[in-house]
Amino acid sequence: MAEINLSFSVNDQKMEVSTEPTRTLLSVLRDDLKLKGAKEACGQGDCGACVVLLDGEAVNSCLVLAVQAEGSQVITVEGLASKGQLHPLQQNFIENWAFQCGYCTAGMLISSYALLMDNPNPNPEEIRAAIAGNLCRCTGYHEIIEAVGKTAADLQQPVLTSES
Amino acid sequence: MPEFDVVGKPLAAVGSQAIVTGKAVYSPDLELPNMLVGKLLYSPHASARIQKIDVSFARAVPGVHAVLTADDIPGENSYLYWYPDQPLLVSDQVRYQGDAVAAVAAESEEIAQAALEAIIVEYEPLEGIYDPEEAMQPGSIQVWPDKGNVQSHYVDHWGDIERGFVQADVIVEGTYSTHYEEHAMLETESAVAYLEPDGTVVVYASAQAPHRDRLQIARALGLPEAMVREITPHIGGAFGAKDEANIQIHAALLAFETGQPVRIVRTREESIRTHVKRHPARIRYRTGATKDGKLTAVHMIAIGDTGPYVNAGEEVMMVMANYGVSPYYVPHARSEAYTVLTNNPICGAFRGFGVPQVTFAFERQMDELARRLEMDPLEIRQLNGLKTGQRFQPKAIVRQGDGMQACLEKAAQLSDWHAREKISRQPAPHLRRGWGIAASFHKSGFGCDVTDHASAAVNMAPDGSVLVRTGAADMGQGAHTVVAQFVAERLGVSPSQVNVYKPDTTLAGDAGASVASRATFFSGNAVVRAAEPIRKVLLDLAAEETGADLDLIDLGDGFVHVEGERVNMPVSDLAGKAYEKNLPMQASGFYAMDYPDAELPDGSSGYEQLASFGAHVAQVLVDIETGQVEVEQIVAVHDVGQVVNPSGVRGQIEGAVSMAFGFTFMEELLVEGGKTLNNSLESYLIPTSFDTPDIKIGVVELHDPEAPLGAKGVGEPPINITPAAIANAVSDAIQAPVNQLPLAPDRILKAAQAVVEGGMDAS
Repeated sequence: MAEINLSFSVNDQKMEVSTEPTRTLLSVLRDDLKLKGAKEACGQGDCGACVVLLDGEAVNSCLVLAVQAEGSQVITVEGLASKGQLHPLQQNFIENWAFQCGYCTAGMLISSYALLMDNPNPNPEEIRAAIAGNLCRCTGYHEIIEAVGKTAADLQQPVLTSES
Repeated sequence: MPEFDVVGKPLAAVGSQAIVTGKAVYSPDLELPNMLVGKLLYSPHASARIQKIDVSFARAVPGVHAVLTADDIPGENSYLYWYPDQPLLVSDQVRYQGDAVAAVAAESEEIAQAALEAIIVEYEPLEGIYDPEEAMQPGSIQVWPDKGNVQSHYVDHWGDIERGFVQADVIVEGTYSTHYEEHAMLETESAVAYLEPDGTVVVYASAQAPHRDRLQIARALGLPEAMVREITPHIGGAFGAKDEANIQIHAALLAFETGQPVRIVRTREESIRTHVKRHPARIRYRTGATKDGKLTAVHMIAIGDTGPYVNAGEEVMMVMANYGVSPYYVPHARSEAYTVLTNNPICGAFRGFGVPQVTFAFERQMDELARRLEMDPLEIRQLNGLKTGQRFQPKAIVRQGDGMQACLEKAAQLSDWHAREKISRQPAPHLRRGWGIAASFHKSGFGCDVTDHASAAVNMAPDGSVLVRTGAADMGQGAHTVVAQFVAERLGVSPSQVNVYKPDTTLAGDAGASVASRATFFSGNAVVRAAEPIRKVLLDLAAEETGADLDLIDLGDGFVHVEGERVNMPVSDLAGKAYEKNLPMQASGFYAMDYPDAELPDGSSGYEQLASFGAHVAQVLVDIETGQVEVEQIVAVHDVGQVVNPSGVRGQIEGAVSMAFGFTFMEELLVEGGKTLNNSLESYLIPTSFDTPDIKIGVVELHDPEAPLGAKGVGEPPINITPAAIANAVSDAIQAPVNQLPLAPDRILKAAQAVVEGGMDAS
């Protein structure tokens, strides 16, 4: 099959990929760009382990063709931390034991991140809704919902920097 | 309880930084140069004779490097878990839908798939046997030509049940059934295998038992175990599904054949189709009690459909018999379990290992007894709950039984049990509220007189940092976090200074499988023992350096403490000194559980057994028009001994309750003619963020003399009790017995309807 050239941004870096048009975004991220954070746990959009941000929207990357990302901005779990600083969501996931095996975590973090971009102050029901497409088999979800709520509260606080 | 620096603190889990940044490496994430994709060809039939397998076309597909059938296996063609009954690749007769007949390795997923499609297998479909009770009948179709379908009939008994039933003022009887449950761990089975230049076969596998896997892989390859190395990287959940070696053996065979690295990752469909399930059980109980509620006799018979291959299935059924009457004291008991062979999916290890099924059934009996005797369900449990020194299995008595009463009391308190009647039972004309209580008992480890031990090694570097080598797999449950906290505690360093190396059979000793709620207890004891000689060297040096009396010295926060006061002497300095002075900074520890002798009530000899008790209360609201149930709250109380990490304990309990909620209401693997019908996460539904109930947790910290720093396992106990507590609550709400899981709306409606028509006793 003829390959096509794609150009899109992943975690604020411009990427050029040559690929067969039938491949999924998940496959290109994992196999070509070696970003292994997003997982394939069902391959058909049932579990959310492969969720990434595509132009600000949380999508199951196993259901998106790589060609659909042409010209887009993709954010994966690898892009959440900046300059070695964890994003508050990541920090709160760690502190609140919002995972056990961690296989759902990449998708869970991105779905939560997308929620907080749209709704900086979600209530627990809104958090439940935002992660309803992300299956977790280890926790009872409560730890995750709390971690997201705590992050929202943290981000509402004025940020203290060394300059201030 | 002693004071600890590190143990008991809600520290972050080992590996969590890697997990949240997407850097944690799981088996499917590994990439090696020239790596091939491995795939297996599974049988389309649950029962069929193989007439011909032709792999010549498949081998000719460009990009295919190997196509293996049974003939190509250099060692033994068997998983060899307990019995040599399940072939790695079947050549003569397939006996369930998960049987594999060929394995391929190719340059891509697509080529591997094309190769599978090019394999010609001619099957002669055979009639199979798909009902366990029918399979037990003489003259039924036999799964195996040389043995009957009843694989085992295990019986635990003591006293004289006839006498016990004569002593009873009231006898209740019931038949209960449970269904297939699928683990649905997020990461399916996966492995990468490659060869070292010296011929060692290295296998990275998502596995709960690296050392047992090594044995199985070595036998299949015909190699000594020392030439096989299994490493478990990050593991994406397991819950029993990865207890038994699976495709890591095939990956090793393909790597051995091709000389190239091979990765196999099961698809979700393949995963559900192949691995063991929770046994569907049909359970019959007869329970007798005096008019004041004291149990006099229990007779339980459980039938478990294990599929065609035994694997751990027979052990699961034995455990059902073992737990048939616990957590109550019963003077006369007979607890029987049949392991039955069929052509259905294979069953084996699944969190709880047979206990959730019998607990559901027996706790329904207890509520039925309470109802007949007009007793409070809590009271009948308090009256009969096991106490220290009482027998709960033919040869076993409870070593520390205070946990039963303590858990019941705390569960009653947290659920406001005694005030429940102040809350409306009928908040709307179509709604009925109810409460259910249930209790359970679980041990850590496999039991007396079986192979069950763990080893570990600890090494403190000259800078005071610590390397721990353990063979215990951490599938997310936190085994490595527990181990790190124990070592940090005993060596007085920060947990961030402790590096727990991923289990590697070449570097670490056998710790046994991470199953049976045993990792904290067994590997915990092993690492505490391994740390001890190092601690001794550090303390001796500290005494020498400070001039203080050895008894007054302790280690903590990275420093020496004298009489509880921190002195300016870092543990890292002592480590450096130890090396200078040629003192050993490494040691290994070994632990096998002790079962001290005990005298049984009849004068015969038995043994003491560790006990972990738990009690749950469920509050539910049932819509009697639709059969829908809202679980308003689950109170879950467990005797975990010393809490090692409160966040970890919470995670284990909440996760198990959530999984049990799924088992109780929504998870049912449908099997027809030996084939599973819902092989995806779209059709096999597990709880989502909207389903999981409100959970209130309580812990009881009772000390056991053998527990490492006082800690006991809690991986399984919570899953045993929740289905029983919910079923009792639903039954209480609709005033009708619900004796069949899952609690599907139609069953609840039917049960409620029967009461409307004939009263509760009619059912």
